[in-house]
Amino acid sequence: MSVIQDQYRAKRVYEVTRLNGTAALRLSDRVVELGEREYGWYQKVVSWLPTVRGTSELSRELGIDEGKVPHFVEALVGSGLLYRVRVDDTNEKLTGLGFHSKFSGVLRSWLSEAFAHPFWERMMSGKGSARLFTGWLIELYHYTKNANRHMPLSCAYAHEKPIKQLRAKHYAEEWNHYHYFMKSLKALGFTEPQIAESVPLPMTLALSNFMRQAAHTDILAYSICSAVLEGTTTDRGTYNPYYQRSAELYGIPKEAVSPIYAHLDLDVQYQHSDLFQDILRHVPEMTSERASVVLSYGHQLVEHIWMWTDNIEKYYQIDSNPMPRRPFDIRVD
Amino acid sequence: MSQSSDLPLLRKGATVARANDTVVIRHLRDEITLEGAAARLFSRVEARLNGQTPIEAIAENFSEKPSRLRALFDQLEKTGVLAFLSARDDVLVSGMDFYQIHRQHCAVWLEPVYTHPFWEKVVSGTATRAQVIGFAFEKYHYIEAAFEHMGIAAANATPEMMPHLARHFIEEYTHGDIYRKGLRSLFPDELILRSQPLPSTRALVNYLNESAQRSSFAYYSGNELLQMTENTDDERAGGAVDEFYDAMRKHYPYTDKLIDSFIAHTKADQKLGHADAFLLMCKSVPPLTRREVNDALNVAKNMAEHLVLFMDGIDTYYEHFPIVPRRACDLTSE
Repeated sequence: MSVIQDQYRAKRVYEVTRLNGTAALRLSDRVVELGEREYGWYQKVVSWLPTVRGTSELSRELGIDEGKVPHFVEALVGSGLLYRVRVDDTNEKLTGLGFHSKFSGVLRSWLSEAFAHPFWERMMSGKGSARLFTGWLIELYHYTKNANRHMPLSCAYAHEKPIKQLRAKHYAEEWNHYHYFMKSLKALGFTEPQIAESVPLPMTLALSNFMRQAAHTDILAYSICSAVLEGTTTDRGTYNPYYQRSAELYGIPKEAVSPIYAHLDLDVQYQHSDLFQDILRHVPEMTSERASVVLSYGHQLVEHIWMWTDNIEKYYQIDSNPMPRRPFDIRVD
Repeated sequence: MSQSSDLPLLRKGATVARANDTVVIRHLRDEITLEGAAARLFSRVEARLNGQTPIEAIAENFSEKPSRLRALFDQLEKTGVLAFLSARDDVLVSGMDFYQIHRQHCAVWLEPVYTHPFWEKVVSGTATRAQVIGFAFEKYHYIEAAFEHMGIAAANATPEMMPHLARHFIEEYTHGDIYRKGLRSLFPDELILRSQPLPSTRALVNYLNESAQRSSFAYYSGNELLQMTENTDDERAGGAVDEFYDAMRKHYPYTDKLIDSFIAHTKADQKLGHADAFLLMCKSVPPLTRREVNDALNVAKNMAEHLVLFMDGIDTYYEHFPIVPRRACDLTSE
């Protein structure tokens, strides 16, 4: 492994748009435009960086002299596409609120990644179906009910009194919100036992299992995941079009949509999106190592949301798959 | 033998196909063909095979002799396409009977794993570099997670399961290193150790962890389904695996060392005789209630679904986000 490979990393790119021989790479704080040739070089560097291949191999691939590779890498650092790993990183400390401002700076990009799954475009363009909408609603029901598998755990593992208090209040306000989705599903013709006795998709269960994992690891790891989830519901403008359009396109009755709005409005009313900041006010200091772990949990949650959407689409788009899913019973199966 | 008060039920998931004077009923891998009078009798009463109507009432309803219906239903039950629900719900299932039921169902639940489109993409050379290397990373993460779920299982074991789970942990905890050795041919060790699994791989591991905490037997029922994919004495399946590795070496020559590690792991597992581990467990557990049977089979079924999800992740996630290895975030990366 060369010195360059040891010292440089690629910044996360949230979207690449190709147009007229250029590639626009969207980072959390800027858009970097590269020509086709430069974009090809950039891709080669990014794929080489984490490997054990030597610098000479990269210079051959780039078709440039080995001595010029460091300059090229520095140019990519200058554009913001790469960054230098700081050796004194582990000693750096930041305040809880300092961490919150870093989080706020990336949340928008993270949410765009979470909801970049083609499912949403499909639903909004009329290529979805009432079945997909309903399946998604069933999984939302399970996801919301499963809050009872992780929210109380986060209270149990929060060691600081003020943070315990905040987590407990959040749980007390949220624990029974699955009723809203039950109401929606009843309006779509399901009976209460049909839904209550059904089983979630593996990725729906995985979301709550991951939240449980986070609660065991670090209360801030849990809280950032919770903040990402709350971030999806802070603004009516982000979710209104989806429900309105789905209702129009797929004949979803108003009675099935209004409980969802009621739930989302309640979340806004409780100001749950401010909870992470309130928690971080009680964290005077974080090592950069802890901050990285916490940040990683937040981003993993983003990836979970994408994969959750994928799982919902793959399962419910097949008409012969049972909806809702009942548990296996040896007597009848 | 059925009683007149029994409630016949055509098993959920059974399919009925008709052609001329013939009815073919299939459930899992069981199949029965009815012809002539038997086929006509079945077709007449099929709608009442809902587990809610006693044989006597069906006979009366269709002006049939109960004995004739019982003879047909007994035959269907023997084939496995029909069950009798009775008022009794306290029947215990022996560990060895459970073992058979488990194998029969798991073979069917594993089918979507074996037919997953990812395998064909690798064999035909259309899988991307990210998908192929991602596959090796995700396998590494899954095998390395023996530390988690097998450790949790051993620590929470029931007395009769403890020796099995302890032995399994001790035999398996080094296996992640076999995969790591293969990955080191392409990536630095430190990066492999700190790399992040896909959410779908984490989902599989966390499901194992959660099951291991909750019920030793149900956990192992699920774990056994995963073991079944490694320990196959079926020559045809073994041949398909060899064919897969050959194609992978051909289309993706840089994975040579990775494949060596896959094969080394399979051999290590086979040498340990894990194929018999579940059989020994089933021999040693006390008879199981219906609730316990259902719990253990639901975990196995969920595990199969998580395994499909694991494959979906490799196939779909690496297609949309072709970044491998996956580094964890730091304060500057985002």
